[in-house]
Amino acid sequence: MARPVRLTTILLTIVFAIAACTGGATPGPATVPPGTTITVMSLWGGSEQESFQKVLDAFEAKTGIKANYEAVRDDYATALQTRLSSNNPPDVAIIPGIGFLRRFARDGSLIKVADLGLDPAALEANYAPGILDIGTVDGELYAIMVKFNSKSTMWYRPDQYTALGVQPAADWDAFVQLLTDIKAKGEAPLGLGAKDSWTLTDWFENIYVRQAGVEKYDQLFSGELPWTDPSVAAAVAELTRVLNDDNVAGGIDAALGRGFVDGIGQAFSANPDAIMYYEGGFVGGIATGQVNTALAFGETIDWFDFPSVNGGNAVTIGGDVIAAMTKNPGVKEFVEFMTTADSGDVWAGTGAIISPVKAVSSDVYPNDSAKREAAQVANASAVRFDGSDLLPAGSPDLGAELQKAIRGDTVDWATFEQLVQTAWGNE
Amino acid sequence: MGVAVPQPADPTAEGGDKPGGSVRASLLVFLGPAVLLLLVFLVYPTLYTIALAFDRGRRGEFTEFVGLRNFEQLLTQDPNFINFSTFPPSGALWNNVLWIVFYTSIVIFLGLIIAVMATRVRYESIIKTVVFLPMAIAATALAVIWIFVYAPSSKIGLLNAILGQFGVAPVSWLGDPGLVNASLIAVGVWGSVGFATVILSAAIKSISSEIIEAARVDGASEIHIFRRIIVPMVSLPISVLAITLIVNVIKLFDLIFVMTRGGPGTASRVIGFTMYQESFPGGQFGKGAAVAVIMLIILIPIMIFNVRRFRTESVT
Amino acid sequence: MTQAEAIPGPAVQHSPTTLAERIVRFANRTPIHIVLGLIGVVWLAPTVGLLVTSFRPRSDIQATGWWETFATLRFTSENYEQVLGSQGLVGAFVNTVIISVPSTLIPLTVASMAAFAFSWIKFPLRDSLFLLVVALMMVPVQVAFIPLLKLFAPVGLTQGFGGVWLAHTAFALPFGIFLLRNFFITLPRDLIEAARIDGASTFGVFRTIVVPLSVPAIAAYGIFQFLWVWNDLLMALVFVQTGTDWPLTRQIANLLSQYGTEWHLLAAGAFILMIVPLAVFFSLQRFFVQGLLAGSVK
Repeated sequence: MARPVRLTTILLTIVFAIAACTGGATPGPATVPPGTTITVMSLWGGSEQESFQKVLDAFEAKTGIKANYEAVRDDYATALQTRLSSNNPPDVAIIPGIGFLRRFARDGSLIKVADLGLDPAALEANYAPGILDIGTVDGELYAIMVKFNSKSTMWYRPDQYTALGVQPAADWDAFVQLLTDIKAKGEAPLGLGAKDSWTLTDWFENIYVRQAGVEKYDQLFSGELPWTDPSVAAAVAELTRVLNDDNVAGGIDAALGRGFVDGIGQAFSANPDAIMYYEGGFVGGIATGQVNTALAFGETIDWFDFPSVNGGNAVTIGGDVIAAMTKNPGVKEFVEFMTTADSGDVWAGTGAIISPVKAVSSDVYPNDSAKREAAQVANASAVRFDGSDLLPAGSPDLGAELQKAIRGDTVDWATFEQLVQTAWGNE
Repeated sequence: MGVAVPQPADPTAEGGDKPGGSVRASLLVFLGPAVLLLLVFLVYPTLYTIALAFDRGRRGEFTEFVGLRNFEQLLTQDPNFINFSTFPPSGALWNNVLWIVFYTSIVIFLGLIIAVMATRVRYESIIKTVVFLPMAIAATALAVIWIFVYAPSSKIGLLNAILGQFGVAPVSWLGDPGLVNASLIAVGVWGSVGFATVILSAAIKSISSEIIEAARVDGASEIHIFRRIIVPMVSLPISVLAITLIVNVIKLFDLIFVMTRGGPGTASRVIGFTMYQESFPGGQFGKGAAVAVIMLIILIPIMIFNVRRFRTESVT
Repeated sequence: MTQAEAIPGPAVQHSPTTLAERIVRFANRTPIHIVLGLIGVVWLAPTVGLLVTSFRPRSDIQATGWWETFATLRFTSENYEQVLGSQGLVGAFVNTVIISVPSTLIPLTVASMAAFAFSWIKFPLRDSLFLLVVALMMVPVQVAFIPLLKLFAPVGLTQGFGGVWLAHTAFALPFGIFLLRNFFITLPRDLIEAARIDGASTFGVFRTIVVPLSVPAIAAYGIFQFLWVWNDLLMALVFVQTGTDWPLTRQIANLLSQYGTEWHLLAAGAFILMIVPLAVFFSLQRFFVQGLLAGSVK
């Protein structure tokens, strides 16, 4: 019969509405029922994935929403694009680069943070100034940085340093001398995994930001300063001064065929043939977790600040941002979760990353190395985002040019500049 | 059969006295599915892509008409695609030229030599099988096999280990831009010689043995027989083979993708890879489509040649 | 007719009969044996190397070359165990079968029928249409991705295997129609005429005459197509989007990037990928080769 059914329906609706309004701390007319699932896509595997899974588990514990992780180790842009074209994007995606972010944002494939129901202005309070700018495209906030690592960490073996009687170097000339000293004592100083050419871009960026200064760095990586500027060649000259057959264990040619994890292995595996390796803060986790579980922080593995050049010691960081690709239930809650210490504490607690969330205190970091890394960035005179990640998606490969440079071939910066400008223009 | 059946000039005509409607029904059943599938999955995407070449192509959709800009950029402003300012030129298009010249000629040459030599030994079919084996192997597995052979350490890499025996330092076969294309072409050759050998072997066997034996009796040397008799008589299969190989080179993607991703840098790119790279990682689907159009333009003369040759064959 | 054939002469066959003659013949061929032997080695060594590596313990792989294994004879199956167990390759293997079988049977059917139409049914513009189909053989697969993805999405073909089956089928048709049509027209007209006169329908002719007589060509095409799909990476990359549906090629390519130097896993994985194609190849070689020859050498 119609009337009783209708009454029941109305009553039920009122009951549900009341329940919805009073449930959950999130603003908005309705909460997401427990058991809702969302998909989160990223490129991480191995130990990075394990650390991130803890964050997802914490999210489920707090909200009852299950975030399913999908790893795409390779061809990330392709996977994302095909999913988008199939009307089947992941709910949330990690975006591993700002050029990447700009492309997908301008393609209209990302949901603005404001459109999710979150207030960007309010979120500013959670971060140090400038952090949210990293995820801003054309004045709108599309993505939020969720983790980063310092890229200004020079990893070394303290035990070997002691055995050889050498000390970490604070400035560039001392660093070059340090390498010579180590070499003179019969050891090869540096490991290098130059097949993964992005490691070379990190070397370059650290040298450049210190040698040429932060303003030029900003101009170079925004398309305002041409790559034919002498400051570029000067930084590359310093790079080749350090990365050459003398200093790199096994020589440059072999390094060009070696991946970065194996490069870490050169210094830190059970059969090392080098005593130093340069890359970001994540080296610690990879070295102790994957390469050689017998390593002990402070004794057989540690890092010192990347040497300053002419007094310049700005720190470069590399980080990932997350962006929403759908407005499905649970997405807004997830994004918001990632801006709070609830997620930051868990993730930082794994020691794998540094959290940009201000409320995450340094006590959370499980070891000295991570604490120092967080402090290094917090206390830096200037912090800059990894330059090559800032370049447009269609840019020529800076790493490849640097590979040429360390091999001793001439680099055609004029052509590089031309291609970069085309890429900026096409964005 | 005593009944005189009218013999139509066309040897493949349907004879008899069926009403027209039944032919139409047959056509629908027999040809319908294929035509439908081809139209939807082959013709439509091709037309879509040709149109997209004139657009910015965000997300692979038609977002902003840009006229010939994509072509202009590719052909005049993109040294990774084609660079005429150096001699010899460089770039992906040039790499395809290298492949077309060296891969095709070496495959045919080796295929012919092996086919001829194999006819003179008892273990002929074993040789042909061994050489043909790589054709069954996926590009992915081929890549694993050959990355292993080319490994830059003399402990792991077969080639460098051999060089090491002669006291030569390890070479970075895939990491050196000057060597990578040759290394990749070698892998391509390795994978395709079997194909050529089988085809040419059959062609050679169809040459009347009497002609060859007569030449031998007349005192001709083996090499003479090879050059003056065998080669001319297999020139037709060789040209068919060459066309097939060239078309495969123009479309080449898998091997480059799995082995080097066009690297180091962009040194080993070919246009099939550039198309993928511009579209998916680069997000410039219009540019990728333009590369596809260039590919089709290059293929058109070959298509016409193929079709013409086919027509003349059918008539004879 | 050449002069040699017109003149009756001594038998031109001279197979050696005595041991001495055989040895002489063999020795005369020595350069050929050497060259062919070398070629055999070059064509086998890389693959054999990988096979041997897949059975070596990890530490050995990084320390010495695979050829030294024959001295130490240290073999292990742990690589295969690890790869099969932890990397989900068994599931990927099943997926590859799920993708390959329909992607072979459907084009076989559709192409055979279309080829029959092009051979034995007369209709206007038949030859022009056929030439168009032949021309389509040249279209690179990359052009299809975005348009097809957008087509597939609204009808749910991007989930599961339907999309990849259709895509593989469509791209396999031009070659299949070309190959089979070339074969079908060589069938004896009389047989077909006879069947028609006896009252067989078009489909009857197809089913009872053309297909049985064409088994070698159809089998050859089927094997070709099966191997092609089994070994395919690109179509799977684009059309099979759910991780659990990935075929072997995709899974192993993933391993390649993840474990760039975990040779022990890569080697085992690559071999698992190769087993079925190699088995198919060895057992059905004859058809495969015949298929190649059809249409290129008459």
